[in-house]
Amino acid sequence: MTSTPTRTAELRPSGTEVPTVSGARTLGTLSRRAVAALSFRTIGAVYVWLLIIVLFSVWAPDTFPTVTTVKQVLNGNAVAGLVALSVVLPLTARVFDLSVAYTMSLTSVLTAYFMVTKGLGPGTAIALAMTAALLIGVVNGVVVVVLRVDSFIATLATGALIQSLITMVTNDSSITGVKLLAKPFANIAQLDVGGITLPVLYLLLAATAIWFLLEHTATGRRLYATGFNADAARLQGVRTNRLRFLTLVTSALLAGFAGVVFASSVGSGSPSAGTPYLLSAYAAAFVGATQLRAGRFNAWGTVIAVLLLGTGITGLGLATSAQWAASLFTGSVLIVALVLTGGRITLPAVLRRHKAPTVAETDDVSAPDEEFTG
Amino acid sequence: MHAETSLGSAGTQETDRPVLRVSGLSKRFGATQALQDVDLDIAHGEIHALIGPNGSGKSTLIKILAGYHHAAPGAAAELDGEPFDLGQVTGSRHDRLRFVHQELGLVGELSATDNLALSRGFARTALGNIRWPEMERRTTALVERFGLGIDVRRPLSTATPVQRAVVAIAAALQGWEGRRGVLVLDEPTAVLPPGEVARLFDIVREIRDSGASVLYVSHRMDEIFALADRVTVIRGGRRIATRRVDELTPRSLAELMAGEETETEHRPRPVSDGAEAVLEVRGLSAGPLHGVDFTVARGERLGITGLVGSGHEVVPYAVCGAYGGPVRGQVRVPERSPRWVDAKDAGRLGIPLVPADRAGEGVIGDFSVGENLTLPLLDRLRARAGRLHRRRESSLAEEWIRRVGVRTAGRGARITTLSGGNQQKVVVARCLAQQPPVLVLCEPTAGVDIATRLQLYDLIERQADHGMGVIVSSSDTEDLLALCTRVLVVRDGRIVREISGRDITEPALVHAMEGTE
Repeated sequence: MTSTPTRTAELRPSGTEVPTVSGARTLGTLSRRAVAALSFRTIGAVYVWLLIIVLFSVWAPDTFPTVTTVKQVLNGNAVAGLVALSVVLPLTARVFDLSVAYTMSLTSVLTAYFMVTKGLGPGTAIALAMTAALLIGVVNGVVVVVLRVDSFIATLATGALIQSLITMVTNDSSITGVKLLAKPFANIAQLDVGGITLPVLYLLLAATAIWFLLEHTATGRRLYATGFNADAARLQGVRTNRLRFLTLVTSALLAGFAGVVFASSVGSGSPSAGTPYLLSAYAAAFVGATQLRAGRFNAWGTVIAVLLLGTGITGLGLATSAQWAASLFTGSVLIVALVLTGGRITLPAVLRRHKAPTVAETDDVSAPDEEFTG
Repeated sequence: MHAETSLGSAGTQETDRPVLRVSGLSKRFGATQALQDVDLDIAHGEIHALIGPNGSGKSTLIKILAGYHHAAPGAAAELDGEPFDLGQVTGSRHDRLRFVHQELGLVGELSATDNLALSRGFARTALGNIRWPEMERRTTALVERFGLGIDVRRPLSTATPVQRAVVAIAAALQGWEGRRGVLVLDEPTAVLPPGEVARLFDIVREIRDSGASVLYVSHRMDEIFALADRVTVIRGGRRIATRRVDELTPRSLAELMAGEETETEHRPRPVSDGAEAVLEVRGLSAGPLHGVDFTVARGERLGITGLVGSGHEVVPYAVCGAYGGPVRGQVRVPERSPRWVDAKDAGRLGIPLVPADRAGEGVIGDFSVGENLTLPLLDRLRARAGRLHRRRESSLAEEWIRRVGVRTAGRGARITTLSGGNQQKVVVARCLAQQPPVLVLCEPTAGVDIATRLQLYDLIERQADHGMGVIVSSSDTEDLLALCTRVLVVRDGRIVREISGRDITEPALVHAMEGTE
């Protein structure tokens, strides 16, 4: 349903009745679809990504265009990708989960704590840490959905609570231990196939699952409906509250999993593990929403955005040694992506005036309307 | 009170130079010719109505006058005999052409004083702080002439709709006293409850009587007859006619608007008493509604009406389990369950609703036509592994687009690219696709043009003929007259009158609503 509506729409249902002509038309349809799918509007970030790759290959020809860089970008951004994916589902239902970074820190710390301080096995430790993540999701859900606090503020508040829990456990210093660096636990993040580590696989699995949910199930459609117009969705029998609650649970679980993976990859439980990932997660989710399914938060767009940002930062690291370059790059990409798509991403409800008490519709020829809103 | 004087003091001295004259106005948006060679002249001291169905181009015309769009070359315009450039929004044009847009352009969180100051500026002391007493005095003077007791300090969100409209008008009129000019009101009643329309009309007449001209944009015929001195009808971007209102009848105006003979007499027959009930309601209370009982029979088209605030507009929401507050009473839908269900759980019966606020509660603007249509039907479209059956989904959408005659570029088009009437068809189709025993509609034709309105009536009537029950809650008597076999009139939360068949007439309805029988 991207940008080839008219002809395909007419053809689809009667396609079986006219098999003779449909072949030629299908070819035309396919090529039109291909053009639409490859247009800058749809996958602009991919072109920007390619441009960046060319740019750095010229800038740092010895270090950048190498297999090592490819591995570094993939392995180094898998956790960032998981955190970014964790905020996609809440965002589709227009819920902000700002506590994901803290949840991630908490599970990384708790896993280390249970293994090192309490001497539990990795399986038990991970199970306990993930239970904590689940609880955070439930608490977020209760505060946002049941107590009706705006998610933006509510998850900021629960984030502070989680931070205090982290400090309680760690006294603000990392938990390290030999067990964290040893085989079974270290394998979670460090086992590799041809230099590509397991977290890349987790990222692909998570993206596939979210993509399937959003694109191919009724639940996905209902999530988008909830995000776009919760009142209308509710009148159509969509259980918006339940969905919003569940998105908060899934985001906590996915962020919690990212924390476990992070602990495994660095071999310690760090009280501030998640902090740097928050901005990049939202940057990727919002840039991702301008890709593939313009205006809708989606899984693969988010992954593309993570890779774009990761490549740029890695390239800058290789080409220059300027410390400030990475943040400059992230910020610029975010603004440029959002500007290029003409603000098609709607602002969170809190930052927007809620609907005016109108009953009637605007009255105009539809085409001119598009001219200035589109 | 001004009603009788309106025609007498029409003041359309045809010999007089028009205050505003526009000629040869054309405008094209892509492939759409929004306006073609339109002429308009507005006489001094008249209320000139501009009427046309949705998409006729009247909004475009207003936006060109306001300088929001540029007209195609070849257009000429003059104010009081002086030509002016339609592309420029300066000088005398700004002084003489004032606009109140449909959305009023007010900030609800701010007071009337603040809102007026936003367009005219604040009075300050030498130190730069705002002189509130003076600001408030100034605002009070401006809004006072209209009565209504507006508190100029309270946020406008606490004011009534008509008070807000008056503040918008006052904001447009400030600094304009006594000049020859035109106040343009773009569908000002669209956001007003019917009970307050008459008050707004008094105010419009007062503005006219004070020497200004008013260009009144509407798509409601009854307003034209109640208010206007002359009317210009546009349709499909062309001016069809400009007539004196006292030379027109509702029928002749409807013909001008629709372009063909329209069937105004549409009076349906009442359903025989023997028909079985598809929906029963007893003791229903919600918000302003206090204990209402009624039954809808197979094939019956039951109207529920009343003044705004009487409670009639709550009935559809309460029956469908979609009312936002506490609800009491019981509902029974024999086809779904032989038992009575508590009204607070009525949502479980799955009776779909065509809500009043189409943009807010009806359609999902970011969804396509198809996605809007199938949203409540997704459970039916499940394939293996919880997957949506895309092909079945598209054919279902196509089928309903065809069945109700939605005019769209395709099911993939964004719903907001459709006209209000076509969006409403999608909303109705979505309900019909659920094959409910009873179809519940709230203000089904608000913001719908006359041609689509007739199509909707037809569609609803056909459903009823096939045995579906219909509830229409509407404050628009046209809906009730055209559609209903029986009408319940609600006043102060109770059903005060039941009118059926041939007795459903405009005066009978209005008297029952107002309590002036």
